Amino acid sequence: MSGTDGLALATRGLRKNYGPRRALDGLDLSVPAGVVYGFLGPNGAGKTTTMRVLTGLVHADGGSVEVLGRPFKRGDRRRLFDVGALVESPTFYPYLSARANLRELAASGAHVPAKRVEEVIDLVGLCDRAADKVQGYSMGMKQRLGIAVALLNDPKLLLLDEPANGLDPAGIVAMRDTLRTLASQGKTVFVSSHLLAEIQVMADVVGIIAAGKLVREGPLKELLSMQGVIKVRVRPNLVDGAIATLAPLAKAERLTETDREEGWLSVHLATDRAEEVNQKLAGAGIYASGLESGTDLEMLFLELTGGQGPSNGEGEFVGLGSPEGQDGGAPAGKGTAA
Amino acid sequence: MRLFLSGIRKLSRRPATFVTFGLLVGLLVLIVIAVGATANSNVANGNGAERGAAMRELLTFPGAYNRMLQFILGLGGLFAMIYGAAIAGSEWGWGTLKSAVARGESRVGYMLMSFASIGFMVAIGLVLAFAISVVAAVIGANMAGISTSGLSDTATLGDLPLRLVKGWVAVMEEASLGFAIATLARSQLAGIGAGIAFYFGESFASLFLPDIVKFMPFSVATAALSTGTTDVGAGGAAIASLPADQALVLVFVWLIGCLVVVSLFSDRVEITG
Repeated sequence: MSGTDGLALATRGLRKNYGPRRALDGLDLSVPAGVVYGFLGPNGAGKTTTMRVLTGLVHADGGSVEVLGRPFKRGDRRRLFDVGALVESPTFYPYLSARANLRELAASGAHVPAKRVEEVIDLVGLCDRAADKVQGYSMGMKQRLGIAVALLNDPKLLLLDEPANGLDPAGIVAMRDTLRTLASQGKTVFVSSHLLAEIQVMADVVGIIAAGKLVREGPLKELLSMQGVIKVRVRPNLVDGAIATLAPLAKAERLTETDREEGWLSVHLATDRAEEVNQKLAGAGIYASGLESGTDLEMLFLELTGGQGPSNGEGEFVGLGSPEGQDGGAPAGKGTAA
Repeated sequence: MRLFLSGIRKLSRRPATFVTFGLLVGLLVLIVIAVGATANSNVANGNGAERGAAMRELLTFPGAYNRMLQFILGLGGLFAMIYGAAIAGSEWGWGTLKSAVARGESRVGYMLMSFASIGFMVAIGLVLAFAISVVAAVIGANMAGISTSGLSDTATLGDLPLRLVKGWVAVMEEASLGFAIATLARSQLAGIGAGIAFYFGESFASLFLPDIVKFMPFSVATAALSTGTTDVGAGGAAIASLPADQALVLVFVWLIGCLVVVSLFSDRVEITG
């Protein structure tokens, strides 16, 4: 495969059909070694199919896959000995304990030292419940155990499908830290997720797919620099004035609803123009009580996946709900507070 | 070997193992003890000397060895088929096969080792059930006042190991059928349901198509252990059967055929969900 040096995982022209439906349509992924790679896409875009192909659960109709620098074809199952995976929902023997499940799963695939079972139990925080039968586990605990299974063989490449599913906030933070630590140790973590905020704070590189094709891939910072957003908070009674003041700056084509109660506005501009926004408002006698400049993966995602029409590139004015309501829309960086 | 040992560990802790074994032994002991307790009273109550004699014959050694074995292998075959279907179906239904494949395990190797571990458990189950049935028969014989002097009949005891091995092969053939059906259905319930339907369907069909049914899996399993030309087949119907040697060959054909189907299907199927 050409141009795959230094990649932990690469697909070229990957195709997969389920009957008449095309799930993957020439997917080209390039996952560098030693990074956390966020794999994003709307429902039905082909994320899970990709994970299934990468783990040998389904066979591609065309194209090629390279895992850890070597081709991964049908029959190359041993290549997965260096891969850990959590695909879809984690699966276990319900009548066995977590420890027994790990022990029995360790009997398949790559050889796993006996002490590794206890290590991964400790790593995912299941020590207290490791002797309990899995049938009594909550979804979050099963998810932790699924991550433990993926880590059993101390993989060089970790493939995780929605790993945060069912985890409580503390569990999500712990998982994120664990994955970041693994990447810092030179391992590659490939995370498929719909939690954009989670990917935004965790991933080094992202790939976005839609309709079975890769629509954008690259370092997260680089991608986000193309998608600036400046958030301004003014007194609710000054919202109209602020919109009128900032509209020419943003060259907006449309002005949508603003959360007047909170007074938040969102201006889509390059983030280095935050000072200019502040200056413009001050010049009009409107003083911002809050100003955040950053980038928004959600906007980029929606643009690329067709969830929202592309902007004109000059900036766009849109109404903004309360910041708490922005699922996945947390800015990556924060600027000055006026 | 790791997979085989893991399979045994999993099955030895699985409720289905104990339930299946418990049902088989429980029914066996219940019937044998009930026969022992009522054999004499049946005759005394005028229910017929013929029935009483048959009941006494069941508990009379050395013939009781073979009758216990036939009972175990007959009922055990149905239970083994259900057990095989439950084990194979759960690997798909619970998604544990998916986890193993994603870890780089061979699909065919995994399924065949699962079946091999079922074979080990079935062998232990048969030996234990037979031992318990002999004890129950001795107790029943004592209750009925029947002599147990035939217990130490060397000719019968000498034949027992071979008959047990043949019986194990026949039971495993029936288990392989359940295993294959559940694999094709990728479901425990579908496998068990279809297996039971097959068992009774074969018995029913023997009424109309005896020349075909005698080649079918449950019939050949029964015939492989019999000595006559007619026998009690699946569901208790008397059917024409093949000679034991020929039936044993067909038992192997069905067994291997089922495992080939399992292997081909497991290797090619797409694992989703």
